[in-house]
Amino acid sequence: MAVCAQAQTSPLPLPPPVEKALAARASHVTEVTLGKNMLTFASKFMNGKNKDESATSRLIQGLDGIYVREYQFDKPGEYSMEETEQLRKYFETSEWSPLVREHARKSGETTDVMVKLVNGETHGMFILSAEPKELTIVLILGPIRMEDLGKLKGLGGLGALGDVEKNTGDKDKEKEKAKKGGTQ
Amino acid sequence: MRRLLWIPICMVALLVPAAVLASGGDGGFDGVVSSIESQYHVHATRIPLMGLVSLLSRKATHNAVDGMHVAEFENFQEPVDGEELNRMVEQKLGQGWERIIRETSHNGKDQTLIYMHPEGERMGLFVVDKSGREMDVVQLSIDPSHLKENLGHYEHRHENSGDESD
Repeated sequence: MAVCAQAQTSPLPLPPPVEKALAARASHVTEVTLGKNMLTFASKFMNGKNKDESATSRLIQGLDGIYVREYQFDKPGEYSMEETEQLRKYFETSEWSPLVREHARKSGETTDVMVKLVNGETHGMFILSAEPKELTIVLILGPIRMEDLGKLKGLGGLGALGDVEKNTGDKDKEKEKAKKGGTQ
Repeated sequence: MRRLLWIPICMVALLVPAAVLASGGDGGFDGVVSSIESQYHVHATRIPLMGLVSLLSRKATHNAVDGMHVAEFENFQEPVDGEELNRMVEQKLGQGWERIIRETSHNGKDQTLIYMHPEGERMGLFVVDKSGREMDVVQLSIDPSHLKENLGHYEHRHENSGDESD
């Protein structure tokens, strides 16, 4: 009896037909897949003495997966609005809440950020960025502390997370200011 | 006397890869290289004295980098189907390897596959990179914490030298 043992790829928890269809039409596809095993393994090598690294280690240790998909197309219109809608709808469950929805009519760019909330805590983040010739999907699963999120920006395709951290930090400062102002 | 000691070490370094190749291993690095050869009718150029290079790199990096295997293909005539290449590499690598990065162009000119394999305190890395008519297949085992220490050492040196120049 032959046993077929082969390397594995943690499957992206997205509707597979959409992913395949997009990949088939794209001129360039980049996939980054870090499953729980790999994240736990990677966290072992973060130096506990360094404050930043220690926070990153804590963050990625608890995560279930980080998935990035980037599809580049030769010309606009090679993916349909129905496909992006299908991706959005996949996360339109009671657990996922929309955080940001940006649509630039002139350039045709849209950005969606959705978070998974469990008992008021963030347990996942989905980012969909659509440009006429480029579609990027970022999916982070597992408990996420917003203040540590920017630490992941070093990973391929997750550079934008640095801005999320900055925005969250700015908002916190504004809140503190407002509180102080209110008490004075 | 110390020089004489290097003779058996070098011989072992040269003989071990030859013995592995002679065994015609079905999986792992050699399995991937031979399947690419037969599937795309190309011939791999192996770096001469790779066993010795691997040994020296291990010594130079204080065990941070070990088990280096490199094969180079230079004459790809036809475009490569990314799905097919990925399937073939995954099948030959076997269990335990996980693909972390895949980059593929639709015209088949460029393909990049990076796999990782936890090996206790070490990490196995397997890279297949095709650009135009060339393809490189590299396997190595690294000790990330050790490697980081080494790199940190150079970073400090760089910072210090930067301070001096200021």
